Amino acid sequence: MTHVLSHDPVAVDPLLELDAHPECGGLALFVGTVRDHHEGRSVRHLKYTAHEPLAAKVIRDVEHATRERYGVPYVRIVHRLGDLAIGDIAIVCVVRAPHRAEAFDACRYAVDAVKHGAPIWKEEFYTDGSSAFVEGCCIRDDLDEPAPAAHRHHTHTSHG
Amino acid sequence: MTPIVFELYANLERLAGGSECRVETDADVATVGDALTLLARERPELAGSLERCACVSGDTIIRRADALPADRRIALLPPVAGG
Repeated sequence: MTHVLSHDPVAVDPLLELDAHPECGGLALFVGTVRDHHEGRSVRHLKYTAHEPLAAKVIRDVEHATRERYGVPYVRIVHRLGDLAIGDIAIVCVVRAPHRAEAFDACRYAVDAVKHGAPIWKEEFYTDGSSAFVEGCCIRDDLDEPAPAAHRHHTHTSHG
Repeated sequence: MTPIVFELYANLERLAGGSECRVETDADVATVGDALTLLARERPELAGSLERCACVSGDTIIRRADALPADRRIALLPPVAGG
């Protein structure tokens, strides 16, 4: 089974499968990299941690759901874990599709789904020596009382 | 009685000062929700964060109304922020 979580730096090229999928004329690629600032604070480096069994399952489910939903033959996602420096690759998502429209759409859908659903946490270390976990999305599926949406779905910053 | 073990992640781990939290109890703990009520009483510093945590057994999200897992282990997953 292919890996979807990596404790080592992620290489993009092997994920593209350019020597396969001759029926595909489009390749959409998203690479999320570590940014040097967040909400006005200067970021020195960061650390990603995960509940790995569930995170791997969620990412595989997203790959599968994206293929089904957009009718594309190849969706590949790898999320990095551990200590990352500014500019390091945090997430890669590759979609191969017959045409560009579904490649772009599927790629965006898959990245959003991973960010909102995979149990991965980002701890930012700031230049002032402090650190904090980035506020994220609640993944409980039994919070169905009419709680205000903003309470379950705090700010999420996106790369790029 | 075997203790109930909570695995803690991210800011929850930081609040508790450790990646695991064991709660000893003689009480009858039937559901995941019961276990969380007990944890909130034993570790008040975590109580305010539990509402927005997902509970996981193995690689599966479980609900508050579900039975306590047979291995009496619950992973507590605070809001996520990957990507």
